Amino acid sequence: MSNPNFRRRDFLRGSLVAAAMVPFGGALASCASGGGGDEAAPETGGGEVTENNPFGVAEGSTVDAVIFKGGYGVDYVEFAAGVMGGVVGVTPKISASTAIATELQPRFAGGTPPDLIDNSGAQAIGFNTILDQLEDLTDVIDAPNYEGTTIRDTLYEGVLAPGTFGDKLAAINYVLTVYGVWYSSSLFEENGWSVPTTWDEALELGAQAKEQGKYLFCWGKQAATYYQTLAIESAIMQGGDEVRLALENLEPECWSKPAIQDVFAKLEQAVSAGYFAPGGAGTDFTVAQAQWSNEQLAILYPSGSWIENEMKSQTKDGFAMSGFPGLVVDPATAQMGDWLHSPAGEPFIVPSQSANPAGGKELLRAMLSKEAATKFAEEKLAPTVVRDTVPADGFGSTALQWQIEAVEAAAGKVFTYNFTTTYGMNQDQLVVWNSFLDGSIDAAQLTSDLQGITDAVREDDSIEKIEVS
Amino acid sequence: MTLVQTEAGPGGAPAPGGRPRESFSAWFQRNRRRNLTFGRISFFLVFLGLPLAIYVLLVLNPFVQAVQISLTDWGGFDNEFNYVGFANYAQIFSNEAFLTALRNNILLVVVLPIVTLVLSLALASIVTVGGASHGEVKGLRGSSFYRVISFFPYVVPAIVIGLIWGMVYNPRGGLVNGFLTAIGLDAFGSFPWLGHPRTAMGATIFVIVWSMVGFYMVLFIAAIRGVDPSIFEAARLDGAGRFRTAVTITIPLIRDNVQTAWIYLGILALDAFVYMRALNPQGGPDRATWVMSQELFDTAFVANKWGLASAMGVVLALVTLAFAALVFLINRLTGAEKEGGYQ
Repeated sequence: MSNPNFRRRDFLRGSLVAAAMVPFGGALASCASGGGGDEAAPETGGGEVTENNPFGVAEGSTVDAVIFKGGYGVDYVEFAAGVMGGVVGVTPKISASTAIATELQPRFAGGTPPDLIDNSGAQAIGFNTILDQLEDLTDVIDAPNYEGTTIRDTLYEGVLAPGTFGDKLAAINYVLTVYGVWYSSSLFEENGWSVPTTWDEALELGAQAKEQGKYLFCWGKQAATYYQTLAIESAIMQGGDEVRLALENLEPECWSKPAIQDVFAKLEQAVSAGYFAPGGAGTDFTVAQAQWSNEQLAILYPSGSWIENEMKSQTKDGFAMSGFPGLVVDPATAQMGDWLHSPAGEPFIVPSQSANPAGGKELLRAMLSKEAATKFAEEKLAPTVVRDTVPADGFGSTALQWQIEAVEAAAGKVFTYNFTTTYGMNQDQLVVWNSFLDGSIDAAQLTSDLQGITDAVREDDSIEKIEVS
Repeated sequence: MTLVQTEAGPGGAPAPGGRPRESFSAWFQRNRRRNLTFGRISFFLVFLGLPLAIYVLLVLNPFVQAVQISLTDWGGFDNEFNYVGFANYAQIFSNEAFLTALRNNILLVVVLPIVTLVLSLALASIVTVGGASHGEVKGLRGSSFYRVISFFPYVVPAIVIGLIWGMVYNPRGGLVNGFLTAIGLDAFGSFPWLGHPRTAMGATIFVIVWSMVGFYMVLFIAAIRGVDPSIFEAARLDGAGRFRTAVTITIPLIRDNVQTAWIYLGILALDAFVYMRALNPQGGPDRATWVMSQELFDTAFVANKWGLASAMGVVLALVTLAFAALVFLINRLTGAEKEGGYQ
């Protein structure tokens, strides 16, 4: 400091002056929840609407897509963008994200969301939160695909249901997920085991497995609710649609329905007979899944069809993966015994406030083209919602063969449920299920704890409810 | 060191220039006449105004906004919100998950600093003054080696530590159970350390302590090195043993450092997000390791209740401040001022 009069105390006092001045300088004028445009989205993208350009995407515009990077990666959207590039002259900008809600919350709040989002993963944005900010995608479904057929006619039955909220098609789910219980058909053949269809047969199988030093099931701490999925599937197959509706609409006493209670009782038997590999509550779920796919300590694992891709590097050689849709308690009285839990997953959404919603729709149309959908099925070994893209040999995958068989056999008899994800209940339910599978609480406690979680959501007026019918 | 104080406290003796105290406006008037040169003003602007503006914009402003948002029902994804008064705060304290998290945080804030400080102080004493009881006061032989070894965990990022220990605690094939079954304790064949309500928190605290001890040990070694060695020699001549030296000589002389470490560890314990997320992302059995920061994160990003989440943030900040105040108070009550240990 060259100024000899410049003293430390003066400096500190000066800082007091500055501190008093700064707030008036407008630094406080900004606000995290402020700003954002209110203008309505244009009907078209500003380009000419033609047969090849049904949404009127502006020539030379940019499509900004944010894709959840999970088991399926993002390269399939890049591939579709390449397909699209051949049709209209737009520049795709595809970014990957593993935390959709965290990353896009500021963009939604600021009024500048991307044009296309794959709203998936553990941190997806709850649909009840953003529903009125999304485009209705019915015009995408009614548009012709790149091969000239109306897209609606190329899709499997029932795949639009999970993306339909009220009468609005807010999301198009791209990947067909088949839920079920997965096993190694080669291991079953070796041991002369038969695939169970009822809970009693499953318990019997558990006893046989125990003789070989194996367990019927195993679980991991972050995935304990896979057994809730299995229980709900079984209860719906047994008790019919009213079970699903009661759970979806958060009815009082819904977990006490006889169909659910019967399944819980069977699960309790399996737990107390020691048919679950011990220690699951302290085991990472990928480690637990490897106990099934690699170590073959457990012989059955309830999951969705992503399991094959997820465990690819940790699956024993010769593990011929196959599945079955679920377990009923009593086949004689089962209401929906031949139904399949097969929701379409990976919901793609187009926010109305985005810069180029027409471009987002066009990219979605490119993804639904036969070329892009076939490429996806071949690379990810999972079917998309587009029909007839998988050959009979399932690209060499036994698990994919079974999925296609199951979907075609069900012929539209597919159901799904969303309440756990819609209201973000999984976190709370995990606690309860870990305790139940561990044997530290019984079926009655399980029921009342799950009911407590449902009741809390129902009674909370600040949570917007979505009526399901 | 603290014993040597050249400057009086605020409001004490005249300022270095020998001027008597004067009112702010008088100071301002005088300076405007005398010293308002271009160099002086630009110096103020660049070195005071700019950092302060950045600080207010990026640090204070979000704090103020968090308080503002905590009084609304903002959902986070649009610009619509209503003011709901203190309803969010009322809801927090009737939310069982949050109260469990608060209890877990309090348990952490009580246990974690004490265990870590006791261990790191003991280790620091051993490697600095715990050596041979004759000749010069020094640490154990090879103490620099121990210092590096125990500092090592601190170099590894918390998330990696969490993932590694998650595997070590793995019920089947994890190191802990492998060791226990190898020495004949077959009951631990598949014991879920992180999955049992009685052991989950203990196992988690062990991991955090393991990762932190080395750093605080190094901090205390530096502090002990700053103490005049003749004090330790005098204590030894008076017949004080190693434990007595540590308790009545070392700790009082470095109590400032202990207090700072205590506050840092308390803030870590009140956060603990990374360790908890890595070891038990779902909050552990019966939410045994669920902490406030996890509940806050879920409320904001999963349940999309930003108003409520901001209220949790405000509560978390207040608890942290209360903790810091409590540590200062304890330090005073236990005689910091009397010994001139801190001011």
